[in-house]
Amino acid sequence: MALIEVKNVSKIYNTNSVPVNALRNIDLKIEKEEFTAIVGPSGSGKTTLLNMIGGLDNPTSGVIMIGGTDISTFKTDAMINFRLQNIGFVFQAYNLIPVFTAKENVEFIMLLQGESKEKREAEAVNLLKAVDLGDKIDKKPTELSGGEQQRVAVARALASKPSFVLADEPTANLDSVTANNLLDLMEKLNEVNKMTFVFSTHDSRVIERAHRVVTLRDGQIDSDKKQNELAVKKQ
Amino acid sequence: MLLALAWKNIWRNKKRSLIILTAIALGLWAGLFSVSISIGVWEATINSTIDRNLSHIQIHKKEFKEEKLISNYIPNGNTIADEIRKDKRVKEVSGRVLIEGMASSPTSSSGVNIIGINPENEKEVTSISSYIQEGKFFETKKRNPVLIGKKLADKLGLKMGSKIVLTFQNIDTTLTFAAFRIAGIFKTESTNFDQSHLFVKKSDLYKTMESEPIISEIAIRLNSSDDLDSVYSKLKLDYSSLAVETWKQLAPELEFTYEMLILELEIFLGIILAALLFGITNTMLMSVMDRIREFGVLMAVGMKRVRVFFLILIETFVLSIFGGIIGMLLGGITVWYLSDKGIDLSIFAEGLNAYGMPTQMYPVLPLYFYFVLIVMIIITAIIAAIYPSIKTIKLMPAKAIRTY
Repeated sequence: MALIEVKNVSKIYNTNSVPVNALRNIDLKIEKEEFTAIVGPSGSGKTTLLNMIGGLDNPTSGVIMIGGTDISTFKTDAMINFRLQNIGFVFQAYNLIPVFTAKENVEFIMLLQGESKEKREAEAVNLLKAVDLGDKIDKKPTELSGGEQQRVAVARALASKPSFVLADEPTANLDSVTANNLLDLMEKLNEVNKMTFVFSTHDSRVIERAHRVVTLRDGQIDSDKKQNELAVKKQ
Repeated sequence: MLLALAWKNIWRNKKRSLIILTAIALGLWAGLFSVSISIGVWEATINSTIDRNLSHIQIHKKEFKEEKLISNYIPNGNTIADEIRKDKRVKEVSGRVLIEGMASSPTSSSGVNIIGINPENEKEVTSISSYIQEGKFFETKKRNPVLIGKKLADKLGLKMGSKIVLTFQNIDTTLTFAAFRIAGIFKTESTNFDQSHLFVKKSDLYKTMESEPIISEIAIRLNSSDDLDSVYSKLKLDYSSLAVETWKQLAPELEFTYEMLILELEIFLGIILAALLFGITNTMLMSVMDRIREFGVLMAVGMKRVRVFFLILIETFVLSIFGGIIGMLLGGITVWYLSDKGIDLSIFAEGLNAYGMPTQMYPVLPLYFYFVLIVMIIITAIIAAIYPSIKTIKLMPAKAIRTY
């Protein structure tokens, strides 16, 4: 059974009463431990697809199964709870809570899960050490660089021990060196911790490092290739 | 941690939070101060009425309440007065003779209430002796001294030492008159009282009436007004054949007006808080609108809507309570300072005295008003939080995250 299964999903937005087909009959399976990039030009529907997989938006038609559970039927609070227990998010603009320190930002997710203070604190410190921010646990987001903030966001995404992490354009605001460092970190988490990552991106640096690349065009899957196939194509 | 987040969120925009805090604090301070002045003026009026002549409890013969005739005196009145005096809660008892009569001077005459007293007892029951402006409180050795109000003296064209003829109905319904000499002129806060009351020694009245020592009113002063209800209940039981009444029953308009005043003041505070409610709602709405993306993220990563609701509620609550406490502290300190020092309103003396109100005003704020206010602030905070909270929990995370 695939970890993520998108079955015949369509999404139509009614913008100014004009229907816009953001996704058209998408079928996609993502297995555990994959390191997948969903790519495509602006407006191709990659963020919409990521939002559907993350339960942040509902499909107009079709079904989304996560670990065998159909999340398209969930009500709002059930969906929030499902996200908390199963999905880690990394956003393009980091989106950390500005009044919290790095440690508090990571801890907060575990607080929502009802973990004890001691466990939260210990786990948050471990996660921040794992993303090489052990010396910056008490820094607020404004005192951290963009790359450091995104690493805190990764630690936060991992804090809930999710089944997979969804990352929406995670490197878009980062310079090359920082972006590569972040990808190294994610790759390591994928290889060592067996964490599944799904990115939406149009960043070639991410595409090059992805193990699988799903290309969207006009709301439809244009291509779905594994890295070895891509490598052959490049040659 | 939710509390910590709420607290930190409040101070994110210090200027905005300080403005609304100042508005809440100043609004409540001004409200409490106005309330304390109103209560202070009215309590002073009540106390002055009790001090002047009413005392805490009065006893009459039931028929006297119907017809204020000297013949309706209290049977064994002096014995009853002596019995009541033995109660430790009672400070002093004054047995009075009350007669409605006519006061005449060479130039004019006026209807008056003649109050026959024993000066020693009366001094302890009322503070009429402290209102003497000219002369002394029955310290003369001359015959038939009388104390009259300044207003009555002016009306009748009388001065210290002038003669005045008092005419009234005797116990046997015959008309009796006697000449008295003015030994003192008093001026209370009530011009109505000063114009219609005069004091004589009851022993002089007995001589004039050729009567036994009778009394038509027993005025009782308590050591503490807290004992009013218990002493009243006891006296009512002991002297069920007589009319026993507290000052509240004797002057119901005072009690009723006081209760109405308290209600009006609570409404007044409610109006202040209603005005502040819009300010708090506006501040919270601005605060929420500034953080739409953040709320989107919080809900995306797993913060339930009820927690988001409570986060905004706590922020509103803390902001309102914080401002409320500062306002109450400022109000409390102002009232405490002025309740000792007083506010001199002698510039409005004429107008205030016409209503029996004193010119030195001491603000009073009963403790329960602070509790009423805290409850009002809590309700205001909850109402103020509802709209911003609902607006927030209705956000779609996917859309909110993309808001800049």
